[in-house]
Amino acid sequence: MKHLIAAASLATLATAAHADTELTYMMWGDPPEIAVWEQVVADFHAAHPDITVKVEVANWDSYWDKLRVQTAGGDAPDVFAMDGPIYPDWQSRGTLLNLQPFIDADPSALAGVYDGPLQTYKLADGYYGLPRDFQTIVMYYNKPMFDAAGIPYPDASWTTDDFRAAAAALTIDTDGDGNIDQWGVSTEAWDMEPFWGPLVYGFGGEIISADETTTLLTQGAARDAFAFIDGMINVDGSIMSDEDLESYGYDGFLAGVAAMVFSGHWVVPAYSELPFEWGVAPFPQGPAGRATLVNSAGIVASSTTEHPAEAWEFIKYVLSDEGQSTLAALGFAIPVSKAAATGPAYLDQPSPADHALFVAALDYAHSKPSFRGYEEWASAVGDNLAMVWRGEMSLDEAYEEIDATADATLGN
Amino acid sequence: MIPKGRERGWAFVLLVPTLLGLALGTLGSIAATVGISFFDWDLFTPPEWVGLQNYIDLPGDRKFNTSLINTLIFSAIYVPGTVLLSLLIAVLLNRHIVGKSLFRLFFFLPVVSSPTAVGLVWSWIYAKDQGALNGIITSIGLDPVYWLGRDMALYSVVIVNIWGAVGEGMIIFLAGLQAIPRNVYEAATLDGAGRFSLFIWITLPLLIPSIFFQVILSTINAFQAFDYVYILTQIQGGGSSVPTLVFNMYREGFNNFRMGNASAQAVVLTLMIMALTIVYARLQKRWGQ
Repeated sequence: MKHLIAAASLATLATAAHADTELTYMMWGDPPEIAVWEQVVADFHAAHPDITVKVEVANWDSYWDKLRVQTAGGDAPDVFAMDGPIYPDWQSRGTLLNLQPFIDADPSALAGVYDGPLQTYKLADGYYGLPRDFQTIVMYYNKPMFDAAGIPYPDASWTTDDFRAAAAALTIDTDGDGNIDQWGVSTEAWDMEPFWGPLVYGFGGEIISADETTTLLTQGAARDAFAFIDGMINVDGSIMSDEDLESYGYDGFLAGVAAMVFSGHWVVPAYSELPFEWGVAPFPQGPAGRATLVNSAGIVASSTTEHPAEAWEFIKYVLSDEGQSTLAALGFAIPVSKAAATGPAYLDQPSPADHALFVAALDYAHSKPSFRGYEEWASAVGDNLAMVWRGEMSLDEAYEEIDATADATLGN
Repeated sequence: MIPKGRERGWAFVLLVPTLLGLALGTLGSIAATVGISFFDWDLFTPPEWVGLQNYIDLPGDRKFNTSLINTLIFSAIYVPGTVLLSLLIAVLLNRHIVGKSLFRLFFFLPVVSSPTAVGLVWSWIYAKDQGALNGIITSIGLDPVYWLGRDMALYSVVIVNIWGAVGEGMIIFLAGLQAIPRNVYEAATLDGAGRFSLFIWITLPLLIPSIFFQVILSTINAFQAFDYVYILTQIQGGGSSVPTLVFNMYREGFNNFRMGNASAQAVVLTLMIMALTIVYARLQKRWGQ
């Protein structure tokens, strides 16, 4: 019934002569991204002369504050960028427009889109947003550092044990002053996405139950993954501490003091400027096989937009092969459109990386968990893990604390 | 000086902007906080009436309890520390010593500095591996201390807060000291009182109003401790190694969107400060004058 009404209103909207409509699209991003999005918007305007899209950009942190304030104040942008993990939370608070009626009326819109990223946005009663691009986590390595240490470059055969041994061997006091000045790994170890999430799956553990009511990362094989990280940080000292990270701008690889980093494709534009040679390799295989995480940034429309039909047109265009190819040229993310991700726009980027490896990672990637209450849950988990990595809490103490607090945040 | 007739009308008209600001800004937000504390509200969906549930949940709330304990320990160190130290400095700087004004300036500077900027300097002083303090400690052959770690952070942050507040206390005590008539001291000296007796029997009793005022102010500040806690003790997940009540409230409200819960905590905090202030006022009545 709901769909019928929406479809009917869609029909009336479509037949009513589109007066010139202005949509606001808000996203997080950096200056180079703005330029590419302006291009997307201009191309869209050329195809739909009656719709003008105004792009508003804020950096990651202020983006979410701004969006919350605007949404709470009833002044949400018509269309805006969304992050996979917190999408269910936003949807559950009634802020997002249901796109299902539009998709039902135009199923071909999703035809060429990868299934993995789509799953992130598929909820019980349909899509309230769609993936805009995706990121798989891979390993980046500094070639000169591996050459100097006489260690062969990481490849698909690497196991987590190979990785740990190499990281320890690459942690060096190069100038002999008693302080470490080159580390094996730079990663924000409290954060699930780049490091501990893939490891938990690689060791055969789980993060959260399928019904999203129980935290599982303190049980079973997941504990082996955390013991592995604990060993690297607190025994080997091969992962940069948060203080080290702070003094090197949170990316030791970019600063040239860490041999390896785990990250998505978003760092490629910045790494392309690096003065040394680097390569990418898949996430090392754990005892239970190879795993990584895939996260997908999305595009959603506000439930309060006055122009739902136009908003849908824009979203559809962003997902189209044409829109995705334009965005691929940016080099930050991987297109969700299969044609764009396997086409020259993405594969033939000028930056020196094995771009196909990121797409191939979809085969063994787990979706980054997403559920209502994600942010509160992530800090209940991350705060305690951060204490362990700082050497201030034992893993057992952290598990106890996580068990006592994390589940209470789920679905809250 | 009470205006009359037409002037009274004008006085009222001129006061309207201030009164409106007071009514809407201050009283309005107090009323709103109390009101919101009876609702479940995440900013987006319409608030849902839950009665006293937010208050009933508080005693069983781990995060609230931890932050309450932290705040109580913090206050127990901060209040006497600030009062005693600023009294001591005020007494010392109330004499004729060379560079008196310069010293007063130095002690007052932290009060007018931005906590954010100063907090960053302190985080460098306290840093574990590259910190200034640990640099000194290791240079004399001792083990570095994790100043902002779980065991030490509370004390490290209290020190910064006391350092930031003694200037204000000093000003209040200096004003109090200068209000004591000289002839009281002269009379006591004639009766043979020494310096120590003068301080115990003349200065302290006559400073009681200032001391109570300063104790109340410090207590309020201690219960509201936030800025240095936020800057110095934040850990990577976004939490704090020593969350205080206001820090916890901020996270509940603005990170976790439990406005009702956060408001209930704010009301409880206000009631605690109010209760302490009443106790102080009673004590002052008994001991003062």
